[in-house]
Amino acid sequence: MEQQYVLEATSVNKKYILPNSELTVLDDVSFRIEKGTTVSIIGPSGSGKTTLLGLCAGLDVPTSGALALMGFRLNNMNEDDRAFLRNQSVGFVFQNFQLLPTLTALENVMVPLELRGEKNVKQKAKELLERVGLKERLHHYPTQLSGGEQQRVAMARAFMNTPTILFADEPTGNLDEENATHITSLLFQMNKEEKTTLVLVTHNLELANQTQRILKMKGGRLTEDVTSHSKTL
Amino acid sequence: MIDYKIKLLRPTKNILNDTWVWKMAWRDARHNFSRLFLFLAALITGIAAVVALDSFNRSVQQDIESNAKELLGADLVINSNKAFDAEIFTVLDTNTLALAGEMELTSMVLFKNSGQTRLIRLLALQGDFPFYGELKTLPANAYEKVKNENYVVLDETLATQYEVSSGDTIKIGKQFFPVAGVVTKVPGGGGLAATFAPTVYMNLANINETGLVQFGSRIQYSYYVKTNSDKETADLQNRLQSIAKRYGYTFETVQGRKDGLGSGFQSVYRFFSLLAIIALLLGCIGVASAVHIYAREKKEEVALLRCIGSTGWQAFSIYFIQIAALGFIGSFIGASLGIGIQQSVPYLFTNYLPVDANWPVQWPSVALGLALGVVVSVLFSLLPLVNIRFVPPLAVLRANNEVITRFSKVRVTAWLAIVLFPFLFTWWQTQNAVIAIAFIVALLLVFLLLSGVAWILLKSLRRFFPNKASFALRLGISSLFRPNNQTQLLVVSIGMGAFLIATLNVVEQSMLAQVEFTGNENRSNTILFDIQPEQKEGVLMLMQTHKLPVQQVVPIVTCRLQDLKGSSVEKLQADTTDSIPSWALSREYRVTYRDTLTKSEKLFKGNLQTRYPNTDVVGVTISEGMHENLRVDVGDSLSFNVQGVPIRAIISGIRKVEWSNDPPNFIFVFPAGILEPAPQIFVTTTFISDNAKATVFQRELVTAFPNVSLVDLRLVLGTIRQLFDKLGLVVRFLALFSILTGLVVLAGAVSNSKYARLKENVLLRTLGASASFINKITWVEYFYLGTMAALTGVVLSLLSGWLLTTFFFEIAFSSDLPELLIIFFSIVLVTMGIAWLNLRKVLNTPPLQVLRKET
Repeated sequence: MEQQYVLEATSVNKKYILPNSELTVLDDVSFRIEKGTTVSIIGPSGSGKTTLLGLCAGLDVPTSGALALMGFRLNNMNEDDRAFLRNQSVGFVFQNFQLLPTLTALENVMVPLELRGEKNVKQKAKELLERVGLKERLHHYPTQLSGGEQQRVAMARAFMNTPTILFADEPTGNLDEENATHITSLLFQMNKEEKTTLVLVTHNLELANQTQRILKMKGGRLTEDVTSHSKTL
Repeated sequence: MIDYKIKLLRPTKNILNDTWVWKMAWRDARHNFSRLFLFLAALITGIAAVVALDSFNRSVQQDIESNAKELLGADLVINSNKAFDAEIFTVLDTNTLALAGEMELTSMVLFKNSGQTRLIRLLALQGDFPFYGELKTLPANAYEKVKNENYVVLDETLATQYEVSSGDTIKIGKQFFPVAGVVTKVPGGGGLAATFAPTVYMNLANINETGLVQFGSRIQYSYYVKTNSDKETADLQNRLQSIAKRYGYTFETVQGRKDGLGSGFQSVYRFFSLLAIIALLLGCIGVASAVHIYAREKKEEVALLRCIGSTGWQAFSIYFIQIAALGFIGSFIGASLGIGIQQSVPYLFTNYLPVDANWPVQWPSVALGLALGVVVSVLFSLLPLVNIRFVPPLAVLRANNEVITRFSKVRVTAWLAIVLFPFLFTWWQTQNAVIAIAFIVALLLVFLLLSGVAWILLKSLRRFFPNKASFALRLGISSLFRPNNQTQLLVVSIGMGAFLIATLNVVEQSMLAQVEFTGNENRSNTILFDIQPEQKEGVLMLMQTHKLPVQQVVPIVTCRLQDLKGSSVEKLQADTTDSIPSWALSREYRVTYRDTLTKSEKLFKGNLQTRYPNTDVVGVTISEGMHENLRVDVGDSLSFNVQGVPIRAIISGIRKVEWSNDPPNFIFVFPAGILEPAPQIFVTTTFISDNAKATVFQRELVTAFPNVSLVDLRLVLGTIRQLFDKLGLVVRFLALFSILTGLVVLAGAVSNSKYARLKENVLLRTLGASASFINKITWVEYFYLGTMAALTGVVLSLLSGWLLTTFFFEIAFSSDLPELLIIFFSIVLVTMGIAWLNLRKVLNTPPLQVLRKET
């Protein structure tokens, strides 16, 4: 039976032990995300959005509660297994682009498939870079690209492994308005074409409003789950 | 919620077959070579020093080994300090053996064309010396002329110094001799002795014409023997044993000469071995430090790779492959550089080596350098690189996510190997497990002490924080204990560098101090010897005429031991169970008599009999060391044969003698009132203040008293200084590579903390701090760091230097305070200088660039 939910969080808690106290960052968070939907997580600074994104992507494990990604229980997997799962099914777009500075744009995009051991991946990487409008910048290094261009390379990389789910952390946070608009439309367009599930963390309500569902966080708790687009936040 | 239990099937890959890892290692490395400059620099200098020093040691040993027979010029040499008794020819069969005779004595020589004089070593030769190797002259037939006519040849250095050439005339003793040419090469090279007293070679048949062979003259007689096989040499030596014991002859064999030269170079080998160990250890610290910085810089990239699916081992392997490959490249460059240095050393050493300095590339040393380089780079980069495995992927979202410290078998193995490696290397270099253990224990102690000092520094700064000091000073000091501070690491690294460099200096100073003795007016700098009794007044008069102070007039009487503690010398020599060396029993002793001790002696046991009390027994004093050779103590009896007259004596006291201080010094000293009537010669000492005065006096002395020899200690001292300047140059040249490695380590240690302060200083600049303010706080911080680290390192080096000189080199400890101060201040200044260089980058980085990166 095909799995209906690509991401499922049940009573997720995340606590950090400090020298003299305990800091609860996530408190009893539960939700499910269906395949092919677009979801945004919003909330004030320190509300636990980024921590939740990290946990959902298997970058860390919850203190308690259960997290399942693509039907795999993340809690039970070791770090390398989670990395393998990410490589197979997850794409990432970060606020500060996170390109490998020593690799060209083309090489950066090729990394996820090369990591799988696949050969002849150059053509696909070129096509993706062409789709994001960087056909002429294949052999440029990140430092030779503008912020908007770097983010487009990051998006091409995110789609390189044909992910089932794409996590985006403030994808337009470091861009000017014009570039932000361009990246946003590109993100939604590619997401639609690739039928990817999109989970994005943002402060930008305009961006959040473009997703089908909004999860609102405050003080480490999921305070609201808005699925109707007619409601203005 | 559904309880998912799907098992993930993750294919496992062998890193060696993982093409992505290799590809990434190359792609990433293309732009990182400059970042790994510190790593390469530390490795190259460390390996270059090891290869150069190891090659040097191997080359000298190999040369001695392969030229063994040429070093001696014969299969066997028999020496005696008196003319050979005819009995020797009952064993030396001249029909089957080739023999060459030699007489060696010191004498003054007068160069007729310039009127200058010089003390020389005169070698009077007979027969076909040398049997092995060649005595090369310029012109080539000069030595033939010596053999067949009354010509002489002289050392090239002597001829050059006094501008003597073929056809000139020199006066030896009473006789003038024409010069046939100069000697360019002689078996054994003449060694250091030739530097102090250059040699003149003549035909033995003409020696009597010089008038130098007379009563009291110090002459060594030798026979060079060529046999037909090594077995025959050994047989001959066995058959000569009894005659040799009876007459006090000694032997020199090829093996003995090899061993002698080997032990002569022992201290040099050991010093170079120590240099190699230190250079390599500094290289290790440099490698670890550079890779630590590199791994830190790579944290974000690793987090990203982990994020998009790389395993911990894959990420680790990318950087491990880079380091291993660079380690090989660095080792190759280092080994090539080391060979280059080794090839240039012979030019500096050329006059002071016993054999021709024709040194091939030492491939074992190159292999050693390559192997060590790869091992060092892999081993010392493992610890910082292992951390890469544990970089959490979450760090891609939160840059301040620290590397999780987990138990890792690799980390534990790396720690063990890191402790074991210096031990094994030191063991191999010194061939002594105890020294190796002591060395490693000492290093660990230094490490602990430096960590302790850093801890105390931090504690005391917190406790006695200067609350009323200026803002810059307070900020600078508080930087030392900021969160994630590197103070402890920096104090240990800089302190370790300072310790090793200063230890090297202390050892070097101690070695140089072995021969450094300075002349002053209270000491004599000129010795006149072989003065016959009838010449004594004349010589003293000449000294008075030249207004030279007569500091000592010492009578010398030659005698031999007749019996010892009731046993005759013959009986003692025949006793195979007795351990008194034969030479000590049969040698001719040159003794003196006086009623006081000299400045260079101290009586440490027994009494001094100042004047013979006309009883049966004479109380003599013996020098420390010799009493152990002869197995005698205070109160033991002995008797001397003084020119045929037996004298019974007891050991009344033992003297500690500083032999190099104010010569001449003696093994036996008799009281006044007993030896005065015995045949004797005199030695006198004086102090000559300037060269011109010395030249005039020497010329007149040689003319009036040709048999009297003069030793100009200033000349000897000058030659020693020159020699050590040259040796010191080589030592410093090689030590420079160790020091360079230390500086690279220092740069690495300071750079380590660069990133922590980059943010901080940029923030201060954003808030309006001026460049000079930031300079000030950085200098305050590094001044404290440098001072504490360098002070601890230098103080500890005195202790380690003492231990090394006393137990490893077995030489007297000596240190040069000004040089240690220079090292101390240099390290403080270099630390501050490197901090400033780092700071320039901070000042040139736009604050926004750093702040944006941090958001």
